[in-house]
Amino acid sequence: MTAGPAEAIGIPPGFGEIIDSHAHVGEIPALGLTDPPEKIVGLLDDAGIGRAVVMTYTELPGYDPNALEYVASAVAKFPDRLIGYARLHPWFEREAADFLHEAIHDYRMKGLKLHPVGTLAHPAEQASLRLIRLAAEYRAPVLFHCGDEPFTTPLTIAIAAARVPEAMLILGHMGGYFHVDEAIEVAERYPNVILETSAMPYPARIRDAVSRIGAGRVMFASDGPGCRPGLELRKVLKAGLTVEQLRLVLRDNIVALMAGVRH
Amino acid sequence: MVRAVDALAFLGPSLFGRGQDGPELERLMSALDVDVCVAIAARPPDYDLTPANEAVAALASSSEGRIIGLVRVDPNRSDAAVNVQRGLDELALRGLFLHPGEEHFRITDRRVIAAVEPCAQGGRPVVVASAYPWLSEALQVADLARRFPDTTFVMTNGGQFNISGMGQQDVSLALEMYPNLVIQTTGVYRQDFLERVASGLGPDRIMFGGGSPVFDASYEILRARLANLDAGGREAILGGTASRVFGL
Repeated sequence: MTAGPAEAIGIPPGFGEIIDSHAHVGEIPALGLTDPPEKIVGLLDDAGIGRAVVMTYTELPGYDPNALEYVASAVAKFPDRLIGYARLHPWFEREAADFLHEAIHDYRMKGLKLHPVGTLAHPAEQASLRLIRLAAEYRAPVLFHCGDEPFTTPLTIAIAAARVPEAMLILGHMGGYFHVDEAIEVAERYPNVILETSAMPYPARIRDAVSRIGAGRVMFASDGPGCRPGLELRKVLKAGLTVEQLRLVLRDNIVALMAGVRH
Repeated sequence: MVRAVDALAFLGPSLFGRGQDGPELERLMSALDVDVCVAIAARPPDYDLTPANEAVAALASSSEGRIIGLVRVDPNRSDAAVNVQRGLDELALRGLFLHPGEEHFRITDRRVIAAVEPCAQGGRPVVVASAYPWLSEALQVADLARRFPDTTFVMTNGGQFNISGMGQQDVSLALEMYPNLVIQTTGVYRQDFLERVASGLGPDRIMFGGGSPVFDASYEILRARLANLDAGGREAILGGTASRVFGL
């Protein structure tokens, strides 16, 4: 019997499903991005990854007024492969709240994505905190872009974690290139912070994170399709985690988060 | 068999705590099936680059062609150009390495020009630790390339560190404007960026750099080996471009 793609790159036999907790769908000509859902699903197939959390590249309200429907239709087309998050702009208080309700209640999406570089909404400003609190009422996780830019660094997002302790905040990219130490320190300080591995280029820092905050608060993601899921998965495998730790990082942590969402 | 060239490895003890010695580098090359490596002195704890460059040259001369070296200087120092010339002539190093982030200077600083001159006159490449905000952003490196159109400049880190890819438009513009610019793959955000550069401008504008020991070269080499390109494109990134630029 031929090994599947996941086994071929070092996933233990019989490991079960792998879930990518941060990927994208969307078609934004202005950004040169044409990423229909078939694209990420094909890349998941190539990498032996079962499902992916997907979101758009732009916020609502914003460039694409049908962004929520786009994600919903992608999930409807691939219900066994894709899970939706709503990417929203905190400054539009009423609309963002309505979109979040629609996303989680009507479309049964599982989380909120905030990208402060795009919105210029500071994570600790009232508009952001209101939306984070609302997500917490649904018990929906909030995935932040967390890199090296102003508005996105771990210590900035940490203020939101401190002010809304009932929310689960995911630091996507776990600090990027130069803020990984701070991301791990923030996660040590705040139990409502989870680190997410996409695009951050240092496999050893995933091992550091797991040893310091536990595998229960580190999650695999690719930021695909631009960042190839297969390559990102290999990065996690290079971190030298135990099979038990891999189960948490590659699947169980995101499953537990999704199971807690109140629709 | 395709020749693999790792175009970026740091050698010696580092002020920043991530050193690598010659035997470690040789073992890494063997483990990754890398045929040739471009070695550069790490920033030494005593701040003295002269013995660090000599150590790189000694390793290169004893490596039977497996390792070549670049001379690293600090353009803030008045003897930078002299040390570049000595590195090329006496130490047989193949080009110049500048690290604006660690030596702290803007790559557009006029003092850099004097350090680059010996390479420009000798037809040697210049590798710039690129993507450091305010110091070596893509268009800043491009401005140096504009001054020396016959010299090849290599931008490490794909020319940008932003994990939203916000610097990639500048990198693309820089590559389009200056054919003497090349990027390395180390730590690049989004594999499709490399693929777009390869398809739009040619894979001969990209070279693999492992970046050890700061980066994990065993992971970084996968960016080249798994790139969604034809075999010729992958071969160029994995070794062809570096072979041309460094005269291997």
